[in-house]
Parts: sequence; structure tokens; C-alpha cells
Amino acid sequence: MKTLNRNYQIEPAATLVVGGGIGGMRAALDLADAGLKVYLVEQTPCLGGRVAQLGYMFPQHDCVLCRGTADHGYGCTRPSISPAYIQHNQHPNIEILTNTNILEVEGQAGDFTVSLRQEPRYVDIDRCTSCGKCEEVCPVELPSSYQLGMTNRKAAYKVAARATPDSYVIDKGPYCDDCGECVSICPTEAIDLSEQPRLLSVEVGAIILALGFKVYDSTELQELGHGRYPNVIQAMQYERLASRSGPTEGIVTRPSDGNQPKSIAWLQCIGSRDQKNPFCSSICCMYATKEAILAKQRLGEQVDCSVFIMDERAFNKEYSAYFSKARDSHGIQYNHCRVSEIKEDRETGDLILKYATPNGELLEDRFEMVVLATGLQPPESARYLADNLGIELNQYGFCQTDKFTPLQTTRPGVFVCGAFSSPKEIVETIIDASGAAAEVMRLLNDRLHTHEFTRENPFLATNDLPLERDVSGEEPRVAVFACTCGETISEVIDIPALLHTASHLPKVVSVDMIEYSCFPEVQGHIAQRIQEEGINRVVIAACSNRTHESLFQRTVRSAGLNPYLLEVVNLREQCSFVHQEQVPLANRKAAEMVRLAVGRVIASRPVTKDKHTCLPSALVIGGGVSGMTSALAIADSGYDVHLVERSQSLGGNLRNLYYVAEGYNPQRLLRDQINRVRAHTRIMVHTRTEVVNHSGHVGHFVTELQTRRNGHSDSIQIEHGVTIVATGAQETKQHSLLEFPKVLTQQELEEKIIHHPEDIAALNDVVMLQCVTPEGSPDYCSRICCTNTIKNAIRLKLFNPSCQVTVLYKNIVTYGFREEYYTEARRLGVVFIRYTDENPPEAVLRENQLFVRVHDISLDRWLELPADIIPLSMSIAPASGNEELSQMLRVPLSSEGFYQEAQMKLRPMDFMRDGIFLAGMAHYPKFIEESISHALAAAGRALSLLSQETLYLGGVIAEVDPDICVGCLTCTRTCPFEIPQVIEEGDRVGVGGLGGAAFIDPALCQGCGTCTGECPANAIQLIHYTDEQMMLKEIAGLGTWKDIPIAGD
Amino acid sequence: MTAHQPKHSFEPEITAFYCIYCGYMAADSAGAMGVQYPANVKFVRMPCTGKTDIRYLLEAFEQGADGVYVVACPIGNCHHVRGNERGLARLERAQKILDEIGLGSERLEMFFMSGGQAHTFADSVKKMTARIRELGPNPLKGELKPVAAPELEDEVVFRGRRLTPG
Repeated sequence: MKTLNRNYQIEPAATLVVGGGIGGMRAALDLADAGLKVYLVEQTPCLGGRVAQLGYMFPQHDCVLCRGTADHGYGCTRPSISPAYIQHNQHPNIEILTNTNILEVEGQAGDFTVSLRQEPRYVDIDRCTSCGKCEEVCPVELPSSYQLGMTNRKAAYKVAARATPDSYVIDKGPYCDDCGECVSICPTEAIDLSEQPRLLSVEVGAIILALGFKVYDSTELQELGHGRYPNVIQAMQYERLASRSGPTEGIVTRPSDGNQPKSIAWLQCIGSRDQKNPFCSSICCMYATKEAILAKQRLGEQVDCSVFIMDERAFNKEYSAYFSKARDSHGIQYNHCRVSEIKEDRETGDLILKYATPNGELLEDRFEMVVLATGLQPPESARYLADNLGIELNQYGFCQTDKFTPLQTTRPGVFVCGAFSSPKEIVETIIDASGAAAEVMRLLNDRLHTHEFTRENPFLATNDLPLERDVSGEEPRVAVFACTCGETISEVIDIPALLHTASHLPKVVSVDMIEYSCFPEVQGHIAQRIQEEGINRVVIAACSNRTHESLFQRTVRSAGLNPYLLEVVNLREQCSFVHQEQVPLANRKAAEMVRLAVGRVIASRPVTKDKHTCLPSALVIGGGVSGMTSALAIADSGYDVHLVERSQSLGGNLRNLYYVAEGYNPQRLLRDQINRVRAHTRIMVHTRTEVVNHSGHVGHFVTELQTRRNGHSDSIQIEHGVTIVATGAQETKQHSLLEFPKVLTQQELEEKIIHHPEDIAALNDVVMLQCVTPEGSPDYCSRICCTNTIKNAIRLKLFNPSCQVTVLYKNIVTYGFREEYYTEARRLGVVFIRYTDENPPEAVLRENQLFVRVHDISLDRWLELPADIIPLSMSIAPASGNEELSQMLRVPLSSEGFYQEAQMKLRPMDFMRDGIFLAGMAHYPKFIEESISHALAAAGRALSLLSQETLYLGGVIAEVDPDICVGCLTCTRTCPFEIPQVIEEGDRVGVGGLGGAAFIDPALCQGCGTCTGECPANAIQLIHYTDEQMMLKEIAGLGTWKDIPIAGD
Repeated sequence: MTAHQPKHSFEPEITAFYCIYCGYMAADSAGAMGVQYPANVKFVRMPCTGKTDIRYLLEAFEQGADGVYVVACPIGNCHHVRGNERGLARLERAQKILDEIGLGSERLEMFFMSGGQAHTFADSVKKMTARIRELGPNPLKGELKPVAAPELEDEVVFRGRRLTPG
């Protein structure tokens, strides 16, 4: 641990993040970017958490951890969400402490002293080359926890093939008999079995808890047979089976016989929504649907997939459509019931399920496999940590939070994110994480930007690199280094012969054999050779670009060379490891790969990024709870905010909200927020104002605002570094039913409850109708209506217990702890009747009395219910004007008309356009606490940019030659991110002066090169992947393998 | 055009383009797991298979590659959203051209796989190598000379195939 200097000891510009799953990784990254030091503490040997075990995310069935941040060009980052966690590219502000637990926390917000205990890994991360020799010789076999016991691992093991830190670990449990085989075989002497635990003490200003969750242990429910019947598995095991990095590379097989099952049943709510666990685990409906679709895709559409489910809870963007797809396109069967009994057919291993249909019919069905959709439990360490940290847990054992401060624990300065505060999925966890980071930045606002770093280079670094040497006038002088990697490369590849061959290649002036090119002392040797020999191009034939390119780029850069004047050849993972039985051919391939690299590096040119200053101010569009929350978080952290609201007053939907299910007073939140915003010296409020123009890029946007005043309008222009879109959404009010007297929306009912309680107390029959959408509008779950309806239903029952309240619903979506209000409503006598789209309820007006006709599934007949009033849960629709604003900001909208984030799971508060962020209901309908978290997340992301001051844009991007471009628009259609624009500006007139030329904004380009491959005029070149570098015509590098001279030949 | 040599003496020379995301990762996974595959393929990195350019594919054949293929992220899983679909569309156009000029589209192929699929990666190499071995050398390449089978016992072992000058 670094000794902290005196200044920091008084006010540590450091933070502690507990938990290395996606939540912890996200939070640490935002804090590190904001210039705070982060200790990322993880109790297992590597980062990744649960997500590392998931092959696919619903609803897009992608892995895309590589899309967790805006970084590009690094390749696969799994199991982490950012290249900032790749070993040799690690963020200089993040210190990862694995195998570490918290012992004690002293002090107060802004100045904590945390004692930690790090258990020994027994392997030196810096010296482990992942050669795997220790694993080969280790005599101890144990079930692999990563594969959930479905395969074995050794006691000397790597948690997964891809791990962060990328190193082995020795599990020195009681089964290890200290034989020392691993120690003696380790070629780099990286193993020390006598390593002792370390006690550490760190000074931090704030703490974020990202502990995650524990999967419910379904063996507790003995009647389900998990643990007794081999073909009853729990969902995480299924995830491994279906994952392409799982034991079967993604082919689901039965544990009993290894056969592919022809029928699979999913049992929902295992350890959720029952007497013992009265909350909803929020994610199981979706993941079970994903697993069922995967079964169809992997094993064939003929596989019979049945899901036994109580309610279909698909309450996020595109989730409703996902359920429809599962049902309609894949034929997945959803049965609305719980299974009462499972029996095994001993002969076949099949399982016989007994269940009752909604209309009471008892059925029995046979399945070849049963998956238990196990719920989420508080993390194992929750109780212990709560005691040590002095924070409170709620009645379910999750972290106690307040509705209006959802990311704060009961101890000031200690924040929470992810499933530790309530069961939630990846998206919500990421939102929480960036939000918690924003809370920390607010708290430590005077210490932001303390620990400087730079993204100037293709690797993350501190600002202490020497000046770059200008090599533009020089003839290429290539040095080739080849690594033996102990013997792991050289036992197959004859390195001296390879170098001899390389020495005959054009422009090669120096060849060197190195052992362990990744060791620090070798870096010095390489740098020295570059300087001594006047080298201006470097080829390092060693190991993976993915893991080590950053290291070698850093070395080359530290020798004064531009890091793009380097080629790395993977002789290890992609040659010697995979051709052990074909030594001659492997050598031929190695020589050919080096030849290619030399050819390519000769064609390489220095690449630099453009340096920009980030203006220290933000524009927040929308003055509702989200907009105000974002504005306050940014302003409190010391940056100016323009808060734009088109109506005359701040508050948005909060103005119409009088009480919430949890019992808090939203009007108080409204008053507090407005007062704070109005009084804040850093917030400039623009009401009656709209954005009419928005241009520029991250760090420097220019926006024109138009304010209506007394019949005329004024325009002003503002400049700002970031933009937050928080334009909200609202309850729709169009439906033919609303034309009936006494039919009203839930929001109108709430107004009545508050302003005319006497009318409400007089009601005898109320029929509430859920899921009402205006005719012709898209069908999606509006997420908040069920809880809102139940809140009002409970209120009616409290006013008049004899009032008959009936709720007609399709699915009750009271996820998380909201389930308790559903239970409460039923306890108070609210009647819930399910309806389907085939038989929608009808309103009938007869002799001045309203009736609702509804088809009751359990009775299988139509009922006619009298109704004094009929409150409708109208869908929540995107704000009007989204279309225009989205075009102005050049950000997309989703099919529902909400804003489309950069990546559904991992970047829910980002847009693909850097510097523009998304907050609150503009993204999708949300509860207040969710809007607050989302707004904080947007603020956190914004702050991580604002606090950087200097931004580097461009690098490996596509460049258009306007003299060749004919303005044909092909690139504009091809780009996956809609970045190229054909514009007529300055000298960009295009060939023949027609229609302008394409322009690709370097601040936006993602560097994929998709446009370059399509451009009919070859007018676009991708930097560092130019035609010259790709086609290698000089050396004919793409085709025939060359004669390989042999030493002494 | 060229008199084909007996197939056993022919070592295919295949060029594979892979993206730095799933494609590269799959190759690394195969390495990390020690999954063996033929050493007849050299790899060229691209930032995304959306970069696949018909000119690059044809250039490889023109320069003498016996076979060419592209390794991409699974459809729907592309780091750049749909670069791999664009790449596939271009590769299919290149296949048509290969058919038209008589080289045959079967010398050009595309594979989609996730980064963890070590065996799928190895299978793609095996599949292409076997196919090209069957098809024989690229007829655009110069005349071939028979070579002895590679020997294993030598210290500096390689006795690769040589092209006859001219």
C-alpha cells in the first residue's frame, strides 16, 4: 500500500468500493475517472461477480461486456466491463484487492479508516504467466465453483480461463497437503506457499457497498427434489450449461445421462413470494424466459419449454415484446400456477409435475429436466458487514435505504448499489453504481481530480511519459523481439531460428531473444534497445494482444516512440499452445506471422488523439425530479448547471403525486428540491424554455435556448461540457372508456383522494382496470401502475373498509419489496381478477349505473361488477417533443418512443454520443427512487467527464478524403451508429462540387471500419488499419507463405 | 493451370481475418485451454468484421492464399452492433465473384463464435484446412514442387514447401 501523504491523511481523496461484480466495477471506474483513488475490494480471487458466469443477457441475448464503456479497440474485456481492468491497462487510480475482507471501519463521512485483511493468493500476480503448469501437477481435484460443481478444478487453479486479475491462485484449503509440486514446477518462481495474510489499513473519504446477492438455496425446499433428483437443477447451473464458456460450450444436457432434454420445465418464484421470503426477486421471470428461448435456439424448436409462473413480470424496455416473442415465435408455454409436487421416474430420470390450472383442473405432466428459478437473497456477508460498518438492514436482510435517498445507507458516507439494497438486475445495478459514485463525488467534491491520469495513449497512464520522438523523416528501422516465455513458447517454437529468419526481413535492423517479455526488468531492456539502436518500429512476438499489447505499447511509448509503431505477435495462445504436436508447421506459422507483423509495422504511422478541454458546466433538459436531482448532484460537486424546463414551473410529475405506497410524502421532496435548486448559486434555472439547437461534441456543446415571455420569445446561446436529457414521461389520457362518466385515471383518483376524501369514503364499489393503453399505441408494461393502483386500493379500503375494491389485471407487477403492498391489499380484502387480451373487460352503463363485465378465468364465466367509479391505469407515454429533441441531439429513440440508451444492459444512462446522458422517465417509466438513482447515475457519468478537464478524442477512427468522396451517402447508411454526415462546409464540396462530402466526427467515431469496407470510392481510411496496412502488397502478406530460411541453410 | 501435386504433400496456406473482440478471444481461449488445431492458418486482425473489405478478401487470393475465412462475433453480439452482418454481406458478394472467376466460393468462409468457444474456433480451423486440403492449392499460385513430409526429430526442423522460382 502506498504511503499516503499528509495532506490526504487529513482529507483522503480516496474511496473504498466493496464488491468486485459489475456494480463495484462500474462505481470504481466512475470514481477513478473523476480523479479519486479507489480501493476495489473483492472477497473472491477475481473480479466479475455473478455476471462473469452469465453467457447471455436478456432481452438481446448478448454478452457485450466489451460494450460496458465508450472505450473501443481493446477487444474482449470479459469478465470485466472495461479495458481499465485488463491487467496491463489497469486504471492508475484503481487498486484491486482480491481475497480481501473488511475488518473494521472507523471515522466519519469524508474521513474513514478501514482495516482490511487480505488472504494470501500464494501466487505472485506480477510473475504468473498463466502457463498452467501448477494446475497440471496439482494432485487435488475439487468441484469448480465457477461451473457450479459441474466440472472439476485443481487446488492450483484459475477461476475461469478469462479472469481479472489474470493469474492463478492456490486454494490452500484442508484438502491441500502442501506437497509443493506447484512450487517446484513454476518456471517463474511465482508461488510461495508460506505467504501470510496481510493486514491493511486505508484512509478513504467514502465507501460504496456493492455486495450483490446470494442465490436462494433450493435444497431447502425438499419437495422440489433439488439435490435428490439429478435432473432438477437450479437456474445458475442452467446458465452455465447454456453458456458458450460452460462445461458443454452451450449445449444443454441432462446431468443424469448427458442427453439433450426434449422437454424442460421452469418453476418460478423458488425462494420468492412465499411465506418465508415475501418479496419478489425481480429478475427470475426474465431470466427463465431467456433460458427457455436459449433451449429452443440450442436444442431445436421442437423442445417443449414450459414455464410455471404466477405473474409475468417484464417491466423494462422491450421486455414485454420479449415475452411476446417467447410465447408467439418460440412457442414457450406459460402456465399461471405453482407446481405442487415433483416426482422422479426412477427408470428414465424424468420428472413428473403435478399442478392445478387456473380453473382448478388438476394435471400431471412429464419433463426431462426441471429448472428452478431460484430467487435472490441478501448477500452472505450482509449481516457481518452491517455490524462492522454500523449500517442497518431492512426486515428482509437487505440494506436499509430511504425512498428519496435510495443509494444512501443509514451511515453517512456509506453508499450502496445493486442487489444488496433490493433484488435487481444488471441494468438497475449499473444505474445504482454510477449513482452511488455521484453521491461520493458530491461528498468529496473538493477532492475531485486529485489523482490525474490520461487517456492520451491507447493505454491508461499517469502523466509522466517522456516526449514523443518525431520519426516522420526516418527510414523504418525495425527491431524484432521474440519471447521464449520460459519454455512455454520455445518448447515448440525455435526462437533463435525464428529470429534468424526475421533478421533477413526488410528493414529489420535488430533481433533479440527475450525471456519473459512481461517482466518489468525486460521492459527496461526493450526500451534501452529501442533508444540505443535508433529503432522506430517494433515487433514483439510474445503473447496475446488482448492481455499484453497495452504493456508493450507503454514500453515503446516510454522509450519515446508512438505506441502505434508496434506490432505484437501472439506466439503463445495462438501458436505454441495450439500446435504442440506439429512443431515444423508451427514454426512455419510463427515465421509467417512475424513476417506479416514486420510488413505491417513498416506501413504503420504514428497515431495521436486530439486534445480538448472540457467546459466545466452542464445542461440539464427537464425540470422534474430527475432533472433537479441531476442538476443538484452536479452543482453540489462544483460545476455550473443550466436547468431547462419548458413549462412554467419545476417539479414535473411530482406535482401530481401526493403519497406513495411506502408512506413518504412526495410533496415534501418536491418542495425541498425546488428550494435547493432555486437557491443554488451554481444552478441557473430556465423555465418556459426549450432547446432549439444543439451542436458540438463532448466537452464543448453549444446550445440555443428559447424562452417564452409575455407573448414573445428570447434566445440565448450557452456553452457547456455535457448534456443530460431528463424530459420525463406522463400518464396518457386518451381512451374511449374515459368518455364514460365516473371513469377516471388513477392520477385523477389520487387527486380526489387528497382533495375530496368525503367523496371517496362514500364509494361502495370500485373496479380498477389495469394495462389500459390509448388505441393504436405500442403495448408495453408501464412498470409503476400496479403498485400505484394497489396504493390507491389500500387507501380506499382504509377510508371505507366495506368498499368493494376489485382490480382487473393481466399480471401484477409488484417487483422487489413492493410485493408486500400486494399482499397487504389482498389482506384488506381487495379482490384481484385476472383478465386476458382475448376477453378484455367491458364497461356498461345501464340506468345510470356503471357495470364492468369481466371474464373470470377461474370460474370460466362472465361476471358483471357494479362500479361507482372505474379508475384506469393508463400507460405512461414518452414526453411530447421527444422526436424533435432527439433529432437535435442526434440520439435515437426506442420503438416505444423513449430515448434509446447506448447499450441496454450496461450503459443505461449513456448515449452512444459521448457527453450526452439520460436520466429518469425519458428512458422508461420509473418509480421516484428509480428516477433519482438514474438521475444520479447520469450526473455521476457527467461528473466523471467534467472533472477530467482534458479529454482526448479520436485516435483509431475513420477519416474521409473529401477530394475523393462523391457524397453518395453509403457510409451514412452503413455506419451502425449513424455518425457520418454528408455536409457542405468549408472546402468539403466533394467530387465535382456536388452535394458536399462525408464528414465523420472524430469525437463520435467508434473505429469499427464498417464504412471503409463499403465506400465505393475508397474515400474512407480507418487509421491504423489503412489499406496499405491491411493488404500488405509490398510483402504480399495476405497470401502465399514465404520461404522460411533456416539457420545455417 | 497448375498440375496439382499429390494431396498429402500439400500444406494449405490459409489466411484468416478475425475481429479483436470475440474472434481474437476465441483464439485466445483455444490457446488457454490448449485445444489443438492445424498450423495452416495465419491470422490478420481487424477492429471489427465490419471492416471486411471485398478487396482484402480477393487480394489475399491474388497473393496466393489457398483459402480465406473470417471469424466474427455471433450475430447480434457484435461489439459494433451489426458490423458482422455487414461483413457477412460483403463476404457473400466476394464468394459470388470467386464463383464467377472459377476459383470457387468454397475457398472463402465466415464463422461466428463467442469468445469462450475454444472448440468452435479450433473446429473452424480444422474444417477450413481439411476443405482446402481437399480442394488443393490456389490455382493462381505458381507451379508447385513436391516436398517431403515434415520431419519432427530434427533440431531446426522446418523443411517447408518451396516454390520453384519462375
